[in-house]
Amino acid sequence: MIVTIAALLWTAHAHADDARVLVMTSYPEVMTTRYEQAFELAHSGIDLQIIWKRSNDAFAELSKPDQGGIDVYWTPAAENFLALRDRQAFHALTVDRAVLPGRIGGQAISDAQGFFEAFEVAGYGLAVNRDVLAARGLAIPTRWEDLAAAPYAGLIVLPVPGRVGFAPALYDVILQGAGWEAGWRLISRIAANARLDTGLGMIDSVVAGDAAVALAIDFPIRAAITNGRRIAMVYPQPTAFLPAHVAITTRAPHATAARTFVDFLLSPAGQKLLTHADIQRYPVRPDAYDGSVPGAVNPFALPPGATFAYDGDRGARRRDLIVAVFDQAIARPHDRLQALWRRIGLAEAALARAPDAHRQSLLDEAKALAGFVPVTSAGAVDAAGLDPRQHWSRQIDDAQERALAIVRQIIPEQ
Amino acid sequence: MIERRAGIMSAVLFGAMLTVSGMSVAQTGRDAFSQPQPTLSGAERAIFRSGQSLFHQAWIVAPSREQPDVDGLGPLYNRLSCIACHIGNGRGEPPRGTPDVMRSMVVRLSVPGSDNHGGPRPHPAYGDQLNPDGIPGVPGEGKAMLVWHDFVETLEDGTRVPMRRPELRFRDLAYGPLGSDVLASVRIAPPVFGMGLLEAVPETEILRRASSGSGDAIRGRINRVWDIVSGTSMVGRFGWKANQPGLSQQVASAFRDDLGITSRIRPDENCAPGQTACLTAPSGGRSELSDRQFDAVMFYMRALAPPLRRDTANPRVRRGETLFAAIGCASCHVPTQPVTPGNAGTTEIHPYTDLLLHDMGEGLADHRPDFAAGGRDWRTPPLWGLGLTAAVGDQESYLHDGRARTLTEAILWHGGEAQRAGASFRALSADDRNALLTFLNSL
Repeated sequence: MIVTIAALLWTAHAHADDARVLVMTSYPEVMTTRYEQAFELAHSGIDLQIIWKRSNDAFAELSKPDQGGIDVYWTPAAENFLALRDRQAFHALTVDRAVLPGRIGGQAISDAQGFFEAFEVAGYGLAVNRDVLAARGLAIPTRWEDLAAAPYAGLIVLPVPGRVGFAPALYDVILQGAGWEAGWRLISRIAANARLDTGLGMIDSVVAGDAAVALAIDFPIRAAITNGRRIAMVYPQPTAFLPAHVAITTRAPHATAARTFVDFLLSPAGQKLLTHADIQRYPVRPDAYDGSVPGAVNPFALPPGATFAYDGDRGARRRDLIVAVFDQAIARPHDRLQALWRRIGLAEAALARAPDAHRQSLLDEAKALAGFVPVTSAGAVDAAGLDPRQHWSRQIDDAQERALAIVRQIIPEQ
Repeated sequence: MIERRAGIMSAVLFGAMLTVSGMSVAQTGRDAFSQPQPTLSGAERAIFRSGQSLFHQAWIVAPSREQPDVDGLGPLYNRLSCIACHIGNGRGEPPRGTPDVMRSMVVRLSVPGSDNHGGPRPHPAYGDQLNPDGIPGVPGEGKAMLVWHDFVETLEDGTRVPMRRPELRFRDLAYGPLGSDVLASVRIAPPVFGMGLLEAVPETEILRRASSGSGDAIRGRINRVWDIVSGTSMVGRFGWKANQPGLSQQVASAFRDDLGITSRIRPDENCAPGQTACLTAPSGGRSELSDRQFDAVMFYMRALAPPLRRDTANPRVRRGETLFAAIGCASCHVPTQPVTPGNAGTTEIHPYTDLLLHDMGEGLADHRPDFAAGGRDWRTPPLWGLGLTAAVGDQESYLHDGRARTLTEAILWHGGEAQRAGASFRALSADDRNALLTFLNSL
């Protein structure tokens, strides 16, 4: 047995009826059905029932005194697990770290306090149409910074984080890899090369050749490749593989069955199921990687520099902040940003041809202003208490207008 | 193949490019049944994606503050989403034997007699379909299982074919015994692509085929079923027993009967009169599937393209096609049907069905009448896409209850009007049988 409930309080709430287990999740049903079938075949005395809810509804339900009768919370919603842990919503779990390390390199993927455990990880990267890039004479991008180059203008599709569930984490991978201010400057410049999208058609756009690159979570890209689409999955450096979690609720009416289900999820059989063609997530058990999965990488065996020590707690806590900053600093003034960064590119080219220290200093200032966001790195550590939208638009507009004015000093408009 | 270079981790796999021809699409992966008709405009593709999203949506218990547009699941239901049963928009999968339960198929229930419109008379305690699950506070009705009984059939050349016969069993029935007079019919989720094109086959053509027959023992008949919107009896066209007159009623009934989601065509919750908890459970509003959502789903269903045939120049495929006609398969699995104007210039389709009911014999009988369809009658299922079944799902399963694991098994179950064609298949040489199967796998 992998998971044991360390706390003893659950016995007070344990129900005599452990012939069923209620599991709350937002995983797609093509995935949950396969887990339901495999689990019930392995444990024929337990009926698994899925209660499907997105994160806000799930948080509300699990915050009720009886936690809605839910036994297990199983979903990709790191911010919910943190907040619910702080409300004592979960039992502590004891996990065998010999088979479930709870971390990938320097990155913790499971709760340090032991109240929720990583179940799978997904990577963040690029869907790439190599034919479109080749037609433009462009190499496959290998770093996020590559996408900021002028030749990529008009070739990129970027998700809007307020509309696409995975996007806040995607941008936080870039932000933590590059640093808060530099990261937003980079995202801003990539966005200037990009069309913003609400998600449904991003990978289709790359498949059809309407775009060369889409920034996305990896499993739909891998699924498209499995289905024969002529695109590639690229993990730019540095990236991160972020976890989805599982936890047993404090008030679980069917605690024994809940534990059995969590055991199953983390067992070799449960982890191997993640590699099913219709699921394509990465296991959190290193021993589940046997090299037999085409198109997959092993996050536990990547070359140095491929990933970094992503801070999942920080990312989860500032998810809403990232959505708000993106909306205000990038999506709202997107047309202006595109013109601004285009002129900055022209100024860079001019200074490359004729170096000038003063104008270089002005250009550096303009770039900082173009990528300005109204929250400092200190403020972004924890978004609690911030009033995100107060005066933001005015501050951002001022910064971008000043940037444009400075660039005009460097290369006056014709 | 995993490609690793300096500074890049790239999982790179290249497959066949998507190609299109007419109203079909050439795609052979797990999403082979999930492609839109290639003639859709950009705006139409957006509606298609919206409908696709709803087809994949896991419906949620009402009320929802976060997603009030997709709440209203149940109170009783089979699954949370359409795609859970129509796996990859293809067939469902039967249970793998006890203790596995049905997950992508349904059990229709009734008692002897007819309802006010000539349809099956619902079971007084369970209604017209077993719903295994209920939202919190509403007991699910029970689980259905299939016990498989294995046997072997021997063909004329001595080839032994493993077969299995299903036995329907129930457990955990929550609303009392079903009774000795219950009529139960097991039906697996069918593929859902190409339905817009089947809808476009003129009714006059279906009636013409029903009246003409093929001259031998083949006597295709129409089912006359109740059309809710018009309030009249119409020609049945969809469903294993052609018990639905049109696609909109088929879709509305599936939402209501399988998910417990009401719509403008099926506005009432799926609770039997004595199911008190079900009747008082929270609702997602009336209707739970809004008209806009319903229209998007309908657009999606109508625009899902059948896959393009493959390998048509292969001599074995051609020989198999000739044998298919020669031994009588094509009498019911009619290769070509005309379609009404307005389908992007397409004037005919190749679904391999006559859309008519046929007596398929005692071996396949469910002994449960469904409007004019008798207990041995089944509508000829379309065969297009047949050869991609294994690519789209995890296991092959054919016929109305998924009992056949191979096409050979499926053919051997053909009885009744298809007895002669089945006997001819049994008499074929191994080489001819393989040619016939190669042809079927090209569809």
